[in-house]
Amino acid sequence: MSANSDGGVGCQDALGRLYEYLDGELSEDWTEKVRSHIERCKRCYPYFNFERIFLDHIRSLRLGPETTGRLEKRIRDALEGA
Amino acid sequence: MTRDRDKREQFESEALVHIDALFGLALRLTGGDTARSEDLVQDSLLKAFRAWDDFRLGTNCRAWLMTILRNTFINEFRSAQRRPTPVEYDEVADRSVFAEVSAVDPEGHFFDRLIDKEVIAAIDGLPDEFRVPIVLSDLEGLSYQEIAEVMEIPVGTVKSRLFRARKRLQVKLLDYALEMGYLS
Repeated sequence: MSANSDGGVGCQDALGRLYEYLDGELSEDWTEKVRSHIERCKRCYPYFNFERIFLDHIRSLRLGPETTGRLEKRIRDALEGA
Repeated sequence: MTRDRDKREQFESEALVHIDALFGLALRLTGGDTARSEDLVQDSLLKAFRAWDDFRLGTNCRAWLMTILRNTFINEFRSAQRRPTPVEYDEVADRSVFAEVSAVDPEGHFFDRLIDKEVIAAIDGLPDEFRVPIVLSDLEGLSYQEIAEVMEIPVGTVKSRLFRARKRLQVKLLDYALEMGYLS
């Protein structure tokens, strides 16, 4: 893990907050620190980029197939008796 | 009885239109169990119907129903998960997918070659402890704090489960992609 010479955070600090950063869970201060690190770190940038691509992929999934009419009928029948 | 009928008709036109979205969420939460998902959707809609007088028309009905379904699932999940699960103590071998593919596919193009169905099957195959946080975070967009409240676990546990869940999922997707020749 590289040491930092400019007062910013190092690789270890950035990597330890990888998903918190990508999930938007960090404070503004930490978000800025991590962003500034990965923008200039040749080792961390590709890794963060890869993880961001992975998460974008998962987040764009469509949830599932449509229901059949059977379930809707079952629920309408249950509502009649509710 | 007219009032009851009006209430039912209003509920059917406002709430039943979201049945596909509810079923989709139920399927992912249950790991693709169709019968259990149907029961979950029915239980949730009946609960919503009983609480319909408290629902304010014009507010987000879909979000309200999704919350009821999520809570219904989690209540069942919690009662079935009172004992510590072996997964908590299971040291999953830490394979770094990025390290494995960085020389040939650093931008993860192999993810694009996987179809949704294959990715969903991989998510469904994760143990509950890992699948539920991924569904709540990545498919439902809940914050760590919201997931912690829904699952009644500390925020730190949410973080570590999400981390491990995503790593497991990446390994499954990579293995699948390798098997299918998606990685050139």
